[in-house]
Amino acid sequence: MIKKVLSYKMPQNLIFLVNVMALLLLYFYKDGFDKFILTSGILLTFIIYISNFMLLKTSSGDHYIFLIMTMLVSIGIIMIYRINPSYGFRQITWFGIGIITFFLFYTVTKNIRGLEKWTKVYVVLSMALFLSTLIFGVRIKGAINWIKIGGLSFQPAEIIKILFVFFLASYYVDREKMNHPYIFLGVVYGYIGFLFIQRDLGTAMIFYFVFITILYVFEEERKLIYYNLGGAVIIGVLSYFLVNHVRVRVITWIDPWRYIDNKGYQITQSLFAIGSGGFFGTGIGLGHPEFIPEVHTDFIFSAICEEMGIFGGIGVILLFLIFLYRGFKIALNQQHQFFKIVAIGMTAMLGFQAFIIIAGVIKMIPLTGVTLPFVSYGGSSLVSSFAALGILQVASEDIYLEQEEENG
Amino acid sequence: MDKFSRRMIKVLIVYSTLFISLVVYLSYFEIFQAEQVVNNNYNKRQWVNEEYVLRGIIADRNGKTLASSRKIDNKQIRTYKFDKLYSHIIGYSFKEYGKAGLESSYNKELLNNNENPIREITEKITGPKEEGNNLILAIDHDLQSYTQKRLKGKKGAIVLMNPKNGEIYAMVSKPDFDPSTMKDKWAEITEDKNSPLLNRATMGLYTPGSIFKIITATSALENEYIEKTFQCEGSININGYVLKDYKGTAHGKVDLKKALIVSCNVAFGQIGLDLGEDKLKNTAEKYMLNKIIPFELLTKNSVFPHKRNMSRPELAATAIGQGKILVTPLNMAMVASAIANDGKMMKPFLVKEVINPKGRTIHTNLPQTLSTVSSKNIAEAIKEMMIDVVKLGTGKNARIKNVKVAGKTGTAENDTEKEHAWFIGFAPADDPKVAIAVVLENEGSTGGKSAAPIARDIMAAALNILK
Repeated sequence: MIKKVLSYKMPQNLIFLVNVMALLLLYFYKDGFDKFILTSGILLTFIIYISNFMLLKTSSGDHYIFLIMTMLVSIGIIMIYRINPSYGFRQITWFGIGIITFFLFYTVTKNIRGLEKWTKVYVVLSMALFLSTLIFGVRIKGAINWIKIGGLSFQPAEIIKILFVFFLASYYVDREKMNHPYIFLGVVYGYIGFLFIQRDLGTAMIFYFVFITILYVFEEERKLIYYNLGGAVIIGVLSYFLVNHVRVRVITWIDPWRYIDNKGYQITQSLFAIGSGGFFGTGIGLGHPEFIPEVHTDFIFSAICEEMGIFGGIGVILLFLIFLYRGFKIALNQQHQFFKIVAIGMTAMLGFQAFIIIAGVIKMIPLTGVTLPFVSYGGSSLVSSFAALGILQVASEDIYLEQEEENG
Repeated sequence: MDKFSRRMIKVLIVYSTLFISLVVYLSYFEIFQAEQVVNNNYNKRQWVNEEYVLRGIIADRNGKTLASSRKIDNKQIRTYKFDKLYSHIIGYSFKEYGKAGLESSYNKELLNNNENPIREITEKITGPKEEGNNLILAIDHDLQSYTQKRLKGKKGAIVLMNPKNGEIYAMVSKPDFDPSTMKDKWAEITEDKNSPLLNRATMGLYTPGSIFKIITATSALENEYIEKTFQCEGSININGYVLKDYKGTAHGKVDLKKALIVSCNVAFGQIGLDLGEDKLKNTAEKYMLNKIIPFELLTKNSVFPHKRNMSRPELAATAIGQGKILVTPLNMAMVASAIANDGKMMKPFLVKEVINPKGRTIHTNLPQTLSTVSSKNIAEAIKEMMIDVVKLGTGKNARIKNVKVAGKTGTAENDTEKEHAWFIGFAPADDPKVAIAVVLENEGSTGGKSAAPIARDIMAAALNILK
């Protein structure tokens, strides 16, 4: 029986086991969680089980990326729940919506033909979203990247991410669509410029690296790559001297201790948390991650390190590493050029986002405020990440090669 | 494999490297930086436990309570019983101003935050911790009080220790402050230009003057070819720089022993020139100059100038303890201890034991050899010379009736008009029980006249009390 439960053929059982243990710990440690935590726990495990089961039945493609991500979501929800139970419960709801989005995007993307022909549509849609952000946007944490409609607020940039990958992919499927590579470059830097105006530096960086990754793999004119890398260095240096909040990020990275009272407060609190956890962590519910501002979103990784230890943190990093590996494997096996590029793009997008926020909170690179995909609290982030994952799921399957048929 | 695939694999390698570097950096941070980071006063976690764990007691070697805490209406009050007496050893612990001294370095133990994960788990099961661990110091309260009394009204520091195992019996730095009233007098204390917050015993850097000749003499004995007899005319001209003896006294024909007894600058200046910079530096570093002394309080490193090709006048000045050389009193007490302990320098320590509230010993500081400064024979030879310094030479004021004392005086010229007065030594010379370093900052008098009598009284008291 135990052998069967722990079998690698049913990896979702392992997630189930982790969830049960963590939630039991929370249940015993925190008073007043009682029934609430029980319902949440059952709900969470139920969603994971059902969705993994459904995927096994419906998709002939990769079955690991989804598992990895549900594991990450579990870790995230446990931490968020521990920090703030009502956020935790809301995150479970978002998880449910995320799963629905996953299957929605999976089904839609799978059944629409000719996605690679809509280059201009992607650009126009993105620009419209950017403009509406600038016009209707609300400033939160220094960046103008939220739109409020009624009681709901969301980040258009999360949708634009997907559109951006589609745009890059469609361009490299048939480069004749843009009359000149410089028009293409102009559009790409238009995206990054808009993000810069919104002061969303983290997302700008992610877009840039996704672009460079795809450029490196698919661009025939190799010198363009060097021009772009050179350009990035120049932009980086210039913005350090010209843009105040870029400079703040860099100086608080070099020596946060001097600004411990103000600008360096967040990052130093994060380091205290990580340092306090040690290798094995304080145990769930026994640390003080609540001392870090924004701990449930950008700094969730520090909270994981404090209570689950560096080993817990390394676990999260390795889960992302396996995801990257699977993502690249999907791209390597995919014969359909458009979905090959989309697979690379989505993988790079999620992977790089995870890298810059983890490296930021441990002070390996300057901090940029983005969420840790699948782990951080937040509906926009979780839902759009699942959308991206749904598309990646399509890319992992054999796709009917339309192009060849047309050519032949 | 097509070119796209090859490139994709390269990109995957880059991404994997990035993620692996996260793992490496995180482990590096945890192993090398975390401990220091976590002890920052801005880390609120340090204060969380304080709300429900009763901070441990700090007691002297005989169990006399020096600092303790009690709870009044869920608020903890820390009491420092002896005003200024332990300001630089125990230090303080206040939310507003942070922590200093042993309160800072033994914070975890005092709050019973165990590093041991297994014990941590058992304690979590047995219920929340309520009392912290207690510290038993090597300090003897009576000696500490007496030492403080002898330094009253002066500026400077005294370190009294056991040369054989490194226990610190007394350590006083003046001026000092009263931790129990410092909340009200914070501005006054921090702005005082005499810097009462500075622990001169471990962080005060002083020119050593003639006490450094012990180190020069060690180096001379280690290098047998060095010329050891000199004709002292009271001064010597080295490349235009005139090195003089105290008051220009001509000592006539001197050997190494005589040179140390009368503290002959002319002789030691020439020994320094003969040895050269590298050999002298080498010996000095064995005596822990330029080295970090591992200790429970913050320390500064003594400085032997890092320089290639010192000029000859500079080298001669360094050999007699002048020039750019700087030492801490703790380091000099360790120098005396090393000679007393057959050339073995012991690691100094303040806390003998950490015991839990039930009286069980959790941690004991064991004697550790920090550095071997010379062979037993050479240490013996230097000891004989130091005995004669007290018997016949500049250290006569340190003589104790019926006890053989070994010592060396120093009168260190510095940037100000007034010299620092030094005495380092140990007693009884045949079976050393205590070693001492006394420095009187800007005393404007010789070490023999002002520092030696203080050292004598304290050593006599120590031999009496520790019996």
